[in-house]
Amino acid sequence: MPNNKDYNRVSVLVVGAGPAGLATAIQLRTTKPEIDVCVVEKSADLGNHNLSGAVLEAEPLHTLLDSAAPGWQDTDAAKEVLASKIDKDDIMFLLGKKLAFNIFFAIKLAEIFRLGFGQMIHKGDYSVSISKLTKWMGRIAKDLGAEVLTGFAAEDIILDESSNKATGVKLVDQGLDKEGNKQPNYVEGEIINADFVVLAEGCDGLLTEKFIEKANLQRQSPQLYSVGVKELIKVSPEQYNKFTSGRVVHAMGYPIWRPVIGPGMFGGGIVYAGVQDHLSVGMIVGADWKYCDFNVQDALTNFKNHRFVKQFIDGGTVVEAGAKMIPEGGYYAIPREPETGSIGKGNVMILGDSAGFVNMLKIKGLHNAINSGMQAAKAIAETFNNGQQAASRYTELIDRSKVAEEMKSAKNFRQTVAKFGPLQGMPLSVFGGLLPEFKIEKDYEAMTVARYRLKPNHNFDKDTFTAVAATEHREEEPSHLTILDADICRTKCTPVFDSPCIAFCPAGVYETIGDEVKSANPSNCLHCKTCQRKCPFDNIRWTVPEGSGGPRYKRM
Amino acid sequence: MSNYIVLVKQVPDVSQITDNAFDPETGTLIRTRLASVINELDAQALAFANYMKKISADQGGKIIALTMGPPMAEEVLRYSLSRCADKVVLLTDRALGGADTVATANPLAFAVRKIVKEILKNNNDYYVVSGMQSVDGDTAQVPPQMAEELSLPCIAYATDAEYKNNRFEFTRIISGGSQVVAAKKLPAVITVAKYEYPLFATFAKTRWANETQVIRWASADIKATHIGVSGSKTSVIRVFPPGKSTRKCRQLSDVKSLAKALVDSFESGNGESGQDADAQRPRYLLPNKRASLLNRSFEGIKKEQEDYEILTDTLSELGITKVSQIDNTSKKKILDVAGEHFHKKALEDMINGLKLTEPTFKGEVWVVAEHSDGVVHPATFELTGKARDLADSLETKVGVCLAGYKVEPMAKELIAAGADNVYVIEDKLLDVFDPTAYRKSVADAISTYWPQIVLYAATPQGRMLAPMVSYRVGCGLTADCTRLDIRDSARKGDIALLLQTRPALGGNVMATIRTKNSKSQMATARPGVMKRIPPDKSRKGKVIKHKVQLSENDVSLEIIKTELGTGDVNFGAEVIVSGGKGMQSRDNYERLVGTLCEGLSKKLDTQIERGASRAAVEQGFIERVHQVGQTGTSIGPKLYVALGISGAIQHMIGVANTETIVAINSDPNAPIFKQCDYYIVGTVEDTIPQLVQALEET
Repeated sequence: MPNNKDYNRVSVLVVGAGPAGLATAIQLRTTKPEIDVCVVEKSADLGNHNLSGAVLEAEPLHTLLDSAAPGWQDTDAAKEVLASKIDKDDIMFLLGKKLAFNIFFAIKLAEIFRLGFGQMIHKGDYSVSISKLTKWMGRIAKDLGAEVLTGFAAEDIILDESSNKATGVKLVDQGLDKEGNKQPNYVEGEIINADFVVLAEGCDGLLTEKFIEKANLQRQSPQLYSVGVKELIKVSPEQYNKFTSGRVVHAMGYPIWRPVIGPGMFGGGIVYAGVQDHLSVGMIVGADWKYCDFNVQDALTNFKNHRFVKQFIDGGTVVEAGAKMIPEGGYYAIPREPETGSIGKGNVMILGDSAGFVNMLKIKGLHNAINSGMQAAKAIAETFNNGQQAASRYTELIDRSKVAEEMKSAKNFRQTVAKFGPLQGMPLSVFGGLLPEFKIEKDYEAMTVARYRLKPNHNFDKDTFTAVAATEHREEEPSHLTILDADICRTKCTPVFDSPCIAFCPAGVYETIGDEVKSANPSNCLHCKTCQRKCPFDNIRWTVPEGSGGPRYKRM
Repeated sequence: MSNYIVLVKQVPDVSQITDNAFDPETGTLIRTRLASVINELDAQALAFANYMKKISADQGGKIIALTMGPPMAEEVLRYSLSRCADKVVLLTDRALGGADTVATANPLAFAVRKIVKEILKNNNDYYVVSGMQSVDGDTAQVPPQMAEELSLPCIAYATDAEYKNNRFEFTRIISGGSQVVAAKKLPAVITVAKYEYPLFATFAKTRWANETQVIRWASADIKATHIGVSGSKTSVIRVFPPGKSTRKCRQLSDVKSLAKALVDSFESGNGESGQDADAQRPRYLLPNKRASLLNRSFEGIKKEQEDYEILTDTLSELGITKVSQIDNTSKKKILDVAGEHFHKKALEDMINGLKLTEPTFKGEVWVVAEHSDGVVHPATFELTGKARDLADSLETKVGVCLAGYKVEPMAKELIAAGADNVYVIEDKLLDVFDPTAYRKSVADAISTYWPQIVLYAATPQGRMLAPMVSYRVGCGLTADCTRLDIRDSARKGDIALLLQTRPALGGNVMATIRTKNSKSQMATARPGVMKRIPPDKSRKGKVIKHKVQLSENDVSLEIIKTELGTGDVNFGAEVIVSGGKGMQSRDNYERLVGTLCEGLSKKLDTQIERGASRAAVEQGFIERVHQVGQTGTSIGPKLYVALGISGAIQHMIGVANTETIVAINSDPNAPIFKQCDYYIVGTVEDTIPQLVQALEET
């Protein structure tokens, strides 16, 4: 490189090109075009690692784009991404394999009486592909002069001990062989120096969690997760018309919760109409399940076989699939600096799913992610010459925004369910903020020797699932999944729980080889990170593989 | 201080290809359905150039990436900059579009000249480095043709380089082994068959790449002589989906049924090998051999064929039996009846076509022989058989061009295989295959006798020699044909053309191609696809000696070492068990392939040979001599068992003549499952021991 510019230095570094990080870039380039901003993303292409239902409450996006890209609504891209406006919103209660009751009226009633539940209404929102949304936002950010670079995976955040300030991030080393030896094409992970670091990595962010530990941020209550799996299914035009376009269905009950005689898990199924005869079918289950042989995909199989769902998808082709976790701990699980309460610290801000801005009453977080990105950009613009104030300014802005309002109203909904179980917890949650705060356990501590009673006869075909997720890592790189202590697996886990990771990993990464449990197929990994949150002995760590590895979602 | 000009190409991401990427009507690829990526082998070539620069401790050398394509091809240049390129050049112009390999190699060579002049300041110490072939074209022709245009040595299929005594020594793949060579003079063209360490982008270089100016040249800037459609010497007549494989593609759920399928298909044999439809088609007749000139049953393209059928039907209704009887009144009547099918202009063309009786091309049908150690390559016999068939249709002779040293004794066998004339070029300098010396000799013979068709085997040697020869004599060339037919294209005024059909885009489509603007029609054909005819020792033929002036200067490569695979491999065995990359290790290969061979040989009571995919050989699981496929050996056993082999096209064309193909692979999307008869999805470790046991019990 002939000129002398330091290409390893940027003013604002955003880690993660999802809706939150890209909203930061877009807002910042709009407000202060003189500030350079660079977004790094580990996936091969924009949108490849984004998965969601996805129902988008569009207001924050409108606000963002109205100022950033006037006239955006008339563009082809906008029309494509926002093609499906929701005009039919059903909530079903499934009882057994065949019965389904529409309980939308109950939600409607809740809305009228302003109960928490009432927020679960999606009419007027959009049913979108978050992969496409992200790709589109990335283009807008680039058009505004932001650098959006895919294929670069960050491994660590660097803090300067003396000034208590983040100086930048380190990218992952590339070109190691399986044993960790340097190949001829080895490149040491570069250090990117930055004045501001925006952590927008999505759920359970690697740098976010490292930063929380290094900077001693605290969560009032541990983060709780759900695991979601989703399939995009091409159905016949008749089936699609029968389902009707513009319709979203949320289902509760079977197969993860049955009144009286379990199983008792939190969550539910979704069927969303996409475009051109495609339906999204998914299953989301709270990661505090207690069945050691449970796999969310088994629940998905049962859900797909339920008479109500089957009629719409029978004979269809799964064209894409994927899995991810959702941070559900809500308001109490937001990581904060203990003294000031800032979400982040100094020149580091934590956004979107990394912060846990999912409103569990709405079961939506996309709008909050975008909103938090806008607030981060405003905070940076205001504190550009005094970077150490960024996180606290950001937190002030968040507190004044709808993000905080929503998070507070949904406050301990999920914890109530986690504490008392779906049967008692759901009704109790009606009292919302009136309930005292209570201690809850981490998801992985919930594991027991109990078995999932509705386990399908056939093992879920994980190979096909990962194949349609188009996941891929360089086969020769070191495994990015580490089992910390093999003894624990051998002596404590396998004899008691029969190695739950083998069952629950949606990508079939874990296998028993010889008599040892290993992360045998790391190249199948979908980057959902369930393993590091659900291993009953907290014995697995997910690190980041080389850039461009992972799933290649295009329409998730 | 060497410099490196690396050729990179933007291609559709064929690895992500799905059925919906093709237009169901035309069979053509819908380009927007697939992402565009850098051709994988070009990415390797870029890394290879960087590696050459590194091992020669040459800090000052520049790496310049060059591509030709639409404006969006700039992306592969940014890719190059973000890895190791210092400068990048994009050759883009509408006038350059629609080019075949000649009209691609020619402007690229002119661009190289301009780069040398303007960027390298006439420093002639440079290498042109490129991937062996592109994944969309698969021809491997452009680099050798460029070498020919630039009069440079060409070292094809390189896999490694070493820097010794101030020069590079390259390891490269040859049929059945490997060779270490050095170019006797610089500059030189290197094509890379495999370099395992493509470079990673760095953050800093990616940012720099996004800011860096791409040098853009249009057609007028380089003053090339053959560009675009008009500069091409071949044209695609039609593209169509590959015929439904005759393979059964049946998934079996348990090893018991697999064991049964193995035994049954070996014992009964399903009788048909993959591609045998060739023999069924009626032989082409020259116009003067037909009952009537109106008999056009051999027209080429479907539409033309239909139009002619309608025309002849209408003519017979009108009672017209000779072309000369057609006058303006009858033309009008024809248009009244058939006007909805074709217009007046088309009718005139057809009538003019009907009057034609003389073939467009004249001369013999030639095969360029390949041989080593006094033994003729089996593919040469296959091609001689095909040439015989074509020559009989065309009522001409079969010639075989046999260049080498002390090769005359082989002429007898070639005559027995179907040759009428064997053109022998003997010279000590032709003792071992040197691309430039051979191409000079063969081209000299061709331009002396001007055969109408020249066929080469699509072996590593043939795929290198054919492009150089054809470029040198100014003729078009089609690579890797799997079908060769003689047909008329009377509407265009051509009689008895060689229609050359080949797979493209990794075997996802078939293309039929014809030669144009050439004195001779040339093609390389895949080994193992054409059938050799049984040798007939009583056949008579002539040996014609052709003298070519050769000097040491015509030899461009110094061969340092040749390693041919050792060990006795009997690929004539009835059963072949092959292992691929999925075998994981040499030990696994030994153990698993070994036990299955043992189990099968006990059960079937026949000799079983071991094979391997290229990946397995490169991983060192077994010696190269066991390699099956395009760069290995083409085989046609009764039963082929592929273990942990993904089924890349290069491998599958090597087993096309197999009667029954059985595959075991853990990847449910492995391409081999669409090209085999029976398969099981499962790991080899689990499946094989169970299978062996099931075989015992069957």
